[in-house]
Formats: sequence, C-alpha cells, structure tokens
Amino acid sequence: METQKCKGARDLLPQDMEKFRQVEEAFLNSCLNWGYREIKTPTLEYIHLFTQAGTLTPAMLGRVYSFLDWDGWGGERIVLRPDGTIPAVRLYNENMADQKISRLCYITNIFAFEETGKENREKWQCGVELLGDSNPTSDAEIIALALEIVKSLGISRVELKLSHAGILKALIEELKLSAEAKEALLDEILDGNWQALAGVKSSNKDFAAAVAALMKLKGKSSGFLANLKSLPSISRNLKNEIDKFASVSGLLDTLGYSYSIDFTSIKGFEYYTGLCFKIVSGNRKICSGGRYDNLVGLVGGKKTPACGFAFLLDELVQLVKPWSRQKADKTVLIRTARENAASIKASFELAGALRRAGLVAEFAFCGSQMTARWKVAVQDKPGAFVIEDQSKGVQKKVKSANDVINFIGGFGKVGK
Amino acid sequence: MMSSISSGASGKLANRAGAITRLALPKGRMLARTAELLDAIGLGFDAYNSNTRIYRMYSKTMPSLSAKMLNERDIPVQVAIGNYDFGICTSDWLQELQARYPASRVFKIADLGFEEAGIFLAGSTSSGISRKDLSKSGVMWRIVTEYPALAEAAAYKMRLKKFRIYPLWGSAEAYPPENAELAVLRAGDEKVLRSMNLTPVSKLCDSNACIIANSDSLQKGNFSDLLKRLTSGFKLKTKLWQQREAVKSDIPNDIDFKAKKDSIWLALADGHQQVHTAAFLGKTGVNMKGYSADNLLRRPSCDLDWVNFKVVRPQDMPQQVANGNFDLAITGRDWLVDHLYQFPSSPVAELVNLGFGWVKVVAVVCEDVPADSIEGLKRIIEKGKMTPLRIATEYVNIADKYLRDKHVARYRVIPTWGATEVYLPEDADMLIENTETGQTLARHKLKIIDTLFESTACLIGNKQSLAQAGKKAKIARLVNIFREAAGTR
Repeated sequence: METQKCKGARDLLPQDMEKFRQVEEAFLNSCLNWGYREIKTPTLEYIHLFTQAGTLTPAMLGRVYSFLDWDGWGGERIVLRPDGTIPAVRLYNENMADQKISRLCYITNIFAFEETGKENREKWQCGVELLGDSNPTSDAEIIALALEIVKSLGISRVELKLSHAGILKALIEELKLSAEAKEALLDEILDGNWQALAGVKSSNKDFAAAVAALMKLKGKSSGFLANLKSLPSISRNLKNEIDKFASVSGLLDTLGYSYSIDFTSIKGFEYYTGLCFKIVSGNRKICSGGRYDNLVGLVGGKKTPACGFAFLLDELVQLVKPWSRQKADKTVLIRTARENAASIKASFELAGALRRAGLVAEFAFCGSQMTARWKVAVQDKPGAFVIEDQSKGVQKKVKSANDVINFIGGFGKVGK
Repeated sequence: MMSSISSGASGKLANRAGAITRLALPKGRMLARTAELLDAIGLGFDAYNSNTRIYRMYSKTMPSLSAKMLNERDIPVQVAIGNYDFGICTSDWLQELQARYPASRVFKIADLGFEEAGIFLAGSTSSGISRKDLSKSGVMWRIVTEYPALAEAAAYKMRLKKFRIYPLWGSAEAYPPENAELAVLRAGDEKVLRSMNLTPVSKLCDSNACIIANSDSLQKGNFSDLLKRLTSGFKLKTKLWQQREAVKSDIPNDIDFKAKKDSIWLALADGHQQVHTAAFLGKTGVNMKGYSADNLLRRPSCDLDWVNFKVVRPQDMPQQVANGNFDLAITGRDWLVDHLYQFPSSPVAELVNLGFGWVKVVAVVCEDVPADSIEGLKRIIEKGKMTPLRIATEYVNIADKYLRDKHVARYRVIPTWGATEVYLPEDADMLIENTETGQTLARHKLKIIDTLFESTACLIGNKQSLAQAGKKAKIARLVNIFREAAGTR
C-alpha cells in the first residue's frame, strides 16, 4: 500500500502510546508533588515571539514551519511552535507576572524541519519552568526534580553534565572580537561546532588558544572550577561567572548529586545565562535545561530570573520498560450465545457492571483485540452466563452479573 | 521553512529515453547576451531572440539539445525538479531557491561573466539606517523584496527582533522610505544603489549570470559534448557576450520627494499596464507629470496636490493596499481576486471598474488532451492519468481555490513568474492563465476548457482608509473623477 503519511511525521501506535503515557504520568506525578502546576500553550504563535526573544539561532529559525494566516496581509507570519519555553514565558508574562514565584510544567509538541525526513519533524517535550527566583537553590531544585523523574521511570545509569552559559559568554567577550565575528562565532558554537573557537582570529590569540584547550577539559567536581579560576589571565568578569557556577555545583555536592563538568555540552539555545545541564543515558540525551534570567524581559515582560528544563519525550520512551499492568487478568471479553436484542442488552448491562467494578470489558460480538483471561458468554435466557477462564481452560455457569464479578474478582485480585 | 524540492512524478526528465538534453533559457533582460554566448560556443538557437514567439527550440548544431524560454526566476526551480538538465540564469535566483530549499537538486557549474551585481539589504538614504540599528527592539522592520527567502535568512542572521517581509513581483526600490524601511534587491554596485536613493546596510551575496545543472542529470546522463563546448567558450579571447551593453530598465527614483501631509496614496502600474493606465488618467483630466513612457518616475504627480503617486507592480498592489501602504491602486481585477482568495477577510475592495485592460482568466490544456471541460479532464484523472494534476500559473491562489472547488483529488500548483504557456505539456498538465484574444494560446496548440472570470482594470481601495475622516472626502472625490472617466457614473 502506498503510504500517505507526511515525510518526517510519525504515528504513535497503541504500544507506543502506553509508554508515552507512562512517561507523561511519571513526569506529571513528580511535578505536581513538587508544587508545579500544569499549563498548555497554543500550537500557533506569531513568529516575532521567537525572533524578538533573540534566543533561537538563525539555523533553528530557518527550520521553523511558518505561514501567512488567512488574515495575514499585514505580513505577520504564524509558526508551529518551535520551542516550549518561549511560549510558556509569554503565557507567564500575560497572565501570571504578578505572582512572586511561578512553578509551571507542560507536555507539548514542538515542530522543526529536518532535512532527511528520517527524523521526526514533530517532537514531544515535558517541560518545567521555575520563574521568579535567582538563587542556586532553584537551579538545584529543578535538577533534583529532573533526576527524580528519571529514577521513577526506572532508568538507571544516567549522567548529569553541567556547563555554564555565563562563563562561555564571558570567555567570548575576552576574545575582543568585532560584533559580526562574535555573532558568527556564537552561531557556530550554539550549533555545536566548538572547533570554531580554535580558528578564531582574535587579537588575544594566546587567550583564544587557552580557551580552546579549556573546552576540551572535562572535570568531575567543583574542584575543577577552583582550578579554572586560579589560571593566569582570567578576568574579573569571568571570575564572577565561575563563582556563580561554583555556588550551584557546591550545592549539588552537598546534596549528594554526582555530575561532571563539560563546557561543550551546551548547544542550540541562546537564552541561557547561567548554569546549563543535560542528562544523558549512554549516547542518548534525555533532558536539558538551565537558567535564563533575560528571557522574560526579552519576550516583553519585566526582568525576572528563571530556570527550567525539558525532557525529550521521544528519547525517553526508548528507555522505559512498559509497566507490567497484568491487564489480561482483569480483562473480560463478552459475547452473546445468540445475537438478539435481549442478549445484547444483557451484555451491555454486564459490561457496565464489570467496568464499574474496575475490570476491563470488551465486546467480542464480532472479534476483539485485547488479550484477556476471561470470556463470558451471555446466554439466551435471562440471568444465565458462562464464564470461561482461558488460563486454566475451565468453564463455570453463573446466574447474575454479580456472580460474574465475584467469580472473576476473586482471581482478579491476583493481578491487583 | 525549508524542504527539498522533489521531482514531479511525471515531469521528471521526460525525454531521457530519447537522450534529449533540455536547457532552460532566460527571457528578458539576459536574453541578448545569453544568445551571444550560445552563438559563440556554436550552440545557437535561431529562434532565441527578443522578438521570438516560439518558446520551444532546437540547437542549430546539436540536434539533441532542446531549449525552452522561461522567466529567469523560474529557471532554478525547473532545473531543481528535473524538468531541465541545464539552465542559464543569474545566481541570485539560485541562491534564493537554496536559501529556502537547501537540499534542492541543483548546483552552479560555471559563472558566465556577465550581469554582475550584488543583492543588498538597503534602506532609504534619508533614513540613515545602519547595521547596528537592525537588532534594536521595539522596531517593526518592513522589508520589501523579490527575494523573500534571502531576506528572511538575513533577518534571522542579523537578529532582527520584529520584521515583516513583503514578497514582491518587482520594483522593490520604489517602496522605501514611505512604504517600507528596508528592501532586499539586486543592484550593480553600491553606486547604482545610491543613485536609486538607497544606502546599503549589508551586502547579502553576489550575483552573476551562470549555468546551472540538475544534480541527478549530471550523475546519470552523459553531457560531455555540451560541457566541452562550454569550456571551449570560456577559453575564447574575445567574449562578445561579456562586452555587450547590459540592458538597463530602471525607473528613476526621485530623490527630492516629500509626501504631502493629509494626502492619500495611489499606486499606479509599471510594465505593460503603464501605457493603458496613463491613457485612462489622460481622460480624467488630472494632468499627470512623470507617468508617460518617455518620462516615467517612481513618484509622479498631478494637479491634485493631495494625492501621492507611486509606480509599482500591479501584482503587488492588493496586499500593499490591504496593509495600508497605499489607500488606492489601479490594478487588474485578476490580482484583486487572487489576493482575496489568499486573504478572505482583507479590507481591500473594488471601488470603480475602469473598463480597460479586459482579459479573461481561463483553464487551459494542450489541444490533444481528449477533454473539453474540467469535468472531462476530471474523468481522465479518475482513470489514473495526469495525477497529481500539475497546474502552472501566476495566479497561485485562484488556481488553488479553483481546483479545490472542482474537487480535483490530487493536484500541485506550480507557481510561475510568467511565460506560463511554455510549460505545457512537459512541465505541467494545465494552466490558469489570462488571455485577451486566445491567439497566443492557439499558437502554442493549447485550448481553453473553462473560463473562471473576466478581468478589467479597476480602482481598488482599503475600506479602513475609506472610513478615515481625513481621507474619506478625498477618496470620494477621486472615485467620482474616475467613475466619470470610466463612464460608469
């Protein structure tokens, strides 16, 4: 059959959705327990929301799905949301800015063109934003929350990697480049090309070389930061940023979270101003986040410190094992011995009673799809049911819906 | 947004089996020098001259080389989708295509050493916009351009916070400073730009005449004969095609123009419609200055000192009236209809039917298609032929709505910038075109299977301007003058 699915689009089948919902459930449970409240933003936004934030790189903006709306003669383009944080910040600015602290979470799809069509052009994220606080405790809080969610999904062997946008920006400042050269270098770095640093034509050439070398170092703890700070030719501005970094990493040390420092782990977003982190499992990046103290102002609100993270749902579902819900023990297929109005009515009543009792009841008048331990045949004469336990190959006749529930429920307890 | 332009199923290298090499040649500005080049390398086409009415031709010396004449701007797209193996155009159009569709199956083989120019982001000299200003917040930059993809990429790169891009059919230099802050346009050099009263903010890329090729063609076919001749041409000592004077068609951009306060803006057509519009204005007795073929200015004037005029492309007028850049415009109803199909709640309306410039907008297929109506064509489509139906047209929104309304299941609209007749039958199955006498269609062995509507020149206006106290009476007065001249009072 000719496939009619759009290139780069994806269907989620029942078995995919089970895992998908499992991740969503774990994410929401943790967030709600930590005092976060769920929001949803629209799929469509104006493109200027993203350009004025100045936080998506030209390469990312060049992959945005945009179009002129039916009333778009003014030239204002509409986009399919390419990012989760910026719309969340817009929502905050327009509705919640008077709140001292806002803890928000959301599950959302984001859209970006991808050349080959082999990757998904629509991706899902579970995001968290903590707005209104600049203290390291907030950075630590969101990292701890992210790690708790990972743990609750049973994903082991994850790594927490830290970087710091403030340090990175201070370093580039030291290179004393022209505005255009700085922009070009930032674009390269934000798109993940750290090699660009090595090739930079800076008047401060020794420093550039030192920076390039530095980026290759990967330290294990905050001792690394102390060493970094003690290097010769480090400016005051840079020291300040290193101190900020150390205050968060020190807190993580106290709380007993292990991490590694990897400056090159930051990629893609210009909006980070302070600590950035990502969580990886093997080669898979499952979460990234950080501090973005300027974004709220850039999107038109008053300057508000904030930090947040997003799980890449599509990556995460690859790592979770589906929960064993032992559904078969609690699933009943219902059919009629003969198809007439009375038996169909009796079947509907029986199914209703079973469902109210917490069982799954699927009609099997002309086939069924669930794997079920139980089959019930509704007999022709009123008040007669034949229960078949397929796991044991036994049958039992009972007289009422209650008898059916009691019989199945007795076994059903096995499966919780 | 980016995507790769994929090959049309039925159009792709249709002539591969007969080993015909297909070449897309430019109409217009570049034609004379391109013809000179082809003659110099011994590949001349008898019919390739500016007076030709033949769009499909064969080389005098290489019978396997066929060529069609297309609008320059369409050539990279047509080569990318595999309708042509090679094309000659200026590289700006190639870069415009690649800015939006980086994976396009087309690349440049060689520069031809003429039509050298740059693509500039420029503002009006009087506004003094610098590169630094661009990333300021709180400014909405209006950018007019024939190169929307290059303009968009530049806007992202230069971190413009808020901007709107108005894609144009042409005459971008006419818009700043009154109707746009910035334009992205082609100019020979900065001096030429300054002579148009524009100052460059940034040069986006260079442009020159080049020969381009379809990547798949080069991988699969053998074109060494053609390529050898081309190479030999480049070794010639005298390159006549480079020495020939370039065609100049710029309309002077008046420098000491000041928009009159409390006045209204009326857009007038350049190009083919200019003569007819000028003739009509002659009947109104408003005494135009600077709007005759031998003395054409971007900002003409007339006895009514409360009207500002600007000369731009008729295709661009409805949207520019809708967004309030002009209060009124004289354009064709066809372009108004196309605009209203794209933007159904647009504030633009027809105010006066001016009567001249009559054409009908029609659906056209090849004479040998066994159908005389759209229903007949649909029956052919239902049998699995000509599907998806490829429609080449300048009227993208009219074509789209027509095919939707006719319930054609699968179709593709191929936007063109003119010379649409030449697309049938190889590069499209149907056209939505305008025709006056039908002679051009007949000469190309085409037939009309449906008439969508009739179009004449009309005065269009912005309903919101009509409601503005300062403009209402002036517009009413002008409408009366026009009605009288059109005999529709």
